[in-house]
Amino acid sequence: MTEVSETRLAQPNRKAKRRFKKEYLWGYSFVAAPILGFLLFAFIPIGYSVFVSFTKYDAFNPPEVIGAENYARLLFEDPLFWKSLVNTFYAAVGIPIGMAVALAIAIALNQKIVGIKYFRTVFFLPTICSVVALTLLWKWIFNADYGLLNYLLSLINVEGPAWLNDYRWAMPSMIIQGVWAGLGFHMILYLAALQGVSSTLYEAAEIDGAGSWKKFRYITIPGISPTTLFILITAIIGALQDFVRFMIMTEGGPEYSTMTVVYYLFLNAFRYMDMGYASAMAWMLGILIMIITLINFWLSRRWVHYE
Amino acid sequence: MKAKKSVFLVICFILFAATVIGCAGTKTNTNDNAANQNAGNNNTAAPGNNGDANTGEEVNIKFAGWGDPSEKKVFNQLIADFETKYPTIKVEYLHMPADYVGKMNTMLAGGTAPDVLYVPDGDFGRWVSAGLLLSIDSYVEASDIDTADMWDSALTRYSFDGVKTGAGELYALPKDIGPIVLYYNKVLFDAANVPYPSAENPMTFDELLETAQKLTIDENGDGKPEQYGMGPAWWEGWIWGNGGDIISEDRTEFLMHEKAAVDAMQFAADLRNKYKVTPDSRALQAMNDGQMFETGKLAMMEQGRWMVPTYRNLDFDWDVAPKPTNGKWDGHSGSVGLGIYSKTKNADAAYKLVEYLGGPEGQRLQSEMGFAIPSFKSMANTDVFLQPGQKPEHAEVFIKAAEAQKAGPWTYLPNAKWWDTLNQNLAQLWDGRKTAEQLFIELKPEIDKAIKEGNPKLFE
Repeated sequence: MTEVSETRLAQPNRKAKRRFKKEYLWGYSFVAAPILGFLLFAFIPIGYSVFVSFTKYDAFNPPEVIGAENYARLLFEDPLFWKSLVNTFYAAVGIPIGMAVALAIAIALNQKIVGIKYFRTVFFLPTICSVVALTLLWKWIFNADYGLLNYLLSLINVEGPAWLNDYRWAMPSMIIQGVWAGLGFHMILYLAALQGVSSTLYEAAEIDGAGSWKKFRYITIPGISPTTLFILITAIIGALQDFVRFMIMTEGGPEYSTMTVVYYLFLNAFRYMDMGYASAMAWMLGILIMIITLINFWLSRRWVHYE
Repeated sequence: MKAKKSVFLVICFILFAATVIGCAGTKTNTNDNAANQNAGNNNTAAPGNNGDANTGEEVNIKFAGWGDPSEKKVFNQLIADFETKYPTIKVEYLHMPADYVGKMNTMLAGGTAPDVLYVPDGDFGRWVSAGLLLSIDSYVEASDIDTADMWDSALTRYSFDGVKTGAGELYALPKDIGPIVLYYNKVLFDAANVPYPSAENPMTFDELLETAQKLTIDENGDGKPEQYGMGPAWWEGWIWGNGGDIISEDRTEFLMHEKAAVDAMQFAADLRNKYKVTPDSRALQAMNDGQMFETGKLAMMEQGRWMVPTYRNLDFDWDVAPKPTNGKWDGHSGSVGLGIYSKTKNADAAYKLVEYLGGPEGQRLQSEMGFAIPSFKSMANTDVFLQPGQKPEHAEVFIKAAEAQKAGPWTYLPNAKWWDTLNQNLAQLWDGRKTAEQLFIELKPEIDKAIKEGNPKLFE
């Protein structure tokens, strides 16, 4: 650390050095806090979890090194891990649906109409609410007998399923809830992106006689593609780490139909007190997220356009 | 240059301090762990070693528990009484209404747990096998607590022999026990002209079915009864009552695939799917069985003593009867224990509190509130518990149930994965997708594996 700053400090000429020194001093001391924080509360724990993943550790007694046993068990002996992984990807079905809906709403809210700010606020509102509160709300919406959803369905003479209590419907229910919960945030990102697309392009296209579909297809979609990539990547990472809603709404059931990787990890760590195994699982998940993100970036070269 | 250096000095110092603190933390931990393991293996510190309450020096201890406001009130009073009795001991009461186990796990892992703590019977095995609780055998022996007068299963579930619960040294005293009995709505029985269940003899499965059928009423004939005869099963007791078992005596093997257990579970499922006298999961999603009972939509249901204060406010007449278990007194109970953190510096004072709360004084006050059955048999048979003139009329049913109870199966092993696996899969039986026989034969290898994986010491 000392070396790096010495070289930096050596750059300015002697005359300016005094002033620089003082500024640098303050700069470094401000930077020190987050760096130390990162080291203490992120980097060291992350490193420690690598170590723990090679041990048997119950959090109360000293860890006992057992080599790669946890990883072997994870990959070859635990069908529930694979099931939770499949479930997690199943849950990710909601991502493209959510993005399409968010874009549609963003386009609608991009119009110049009186009171549009009110609607923008309304759509964004769920984003700032507590996940726990929203989840409890949806638990009520999904209730089979007096929930809102089945009441609405009963108006058109459809008998709704026992959403969260039926192993076939539990995951689709979670997907519906997830799409809804992500809408506000994605919508606001799309709205910003839409407003960033240069109007001169549309004017030029109009002069060339392009209709609204063509304008949307050849100007809007490429224009907002960096945002699409951003949403896609954050949404995939979010979906792979989805946890709170599952803990509150379904506890992984019925019959493990909504057991996601992170909920399973949580059970192993804090219910079965198997920290080593849970850490191994966390690292597998971390690696998986990294691979998927790299693939995403690699594929994105084909469809993302930066101005 | 000077100023720059001092900044780096500060940074270095902070880093250094952090490392030292980190190391120190680790060291203390290791030492404590060693002490811990001693505590777990040999019989712990003898009474009188430290924190002696009689030296006149003031001792501060912490006590953690959960519970609704009424329980908090009872314990505030108990603690005040305790402090009057032992003026040198001051108790700080940490009331954690939500996520108690999560918070306690964190405190236990961080080495900052309170001296005396509630120990849920389901978490007992895990905590004691990790060396977090102090063995209280020698304390109990030296004190006035008469363990022979306590309900057997209430006490033994808090013992641990190094591998499994139910035998070996004692690590906690029961705060309460809650065996399951049958509550019934007398008004609905009268209306259907059905005799009340006997307070002496548990119903057989056939009698239960017959009674429940008479009390299941579908007024408008839409196939969805407006009133159900019987609530969902607390099935553990039904298996035992039918001569089956859940896991083997030595806790190594899952046994619900055997005929007696299969028959009992199939009967429980048939009540719902074949005879339709029990609400299915759809009906129960709207209300739980307790709410259905309170609103007169359920004639019989199984519950513990803790519902009595609530049900005393109901505007219809009700009573209790033995849990129907095919003719034999049987069933399970839940419980919470009072344990002492193994790293406490005031073990003596901590035990004084455990003794007070788990002993006659503490039990009397809790029983008078109507929530709990006292841990002592002699006290249960007095008016403190029976409370003549108040509902239920046949309060002695609770006492017989306490005699016959077993610890709930979730207390059996330190690792609960086998139990989670079972519960996750039971829906297939309850909604009729699989027969009990199919399901449990299919589940057996998976659950056996979970038992083995989670509790390797059992198989050494």
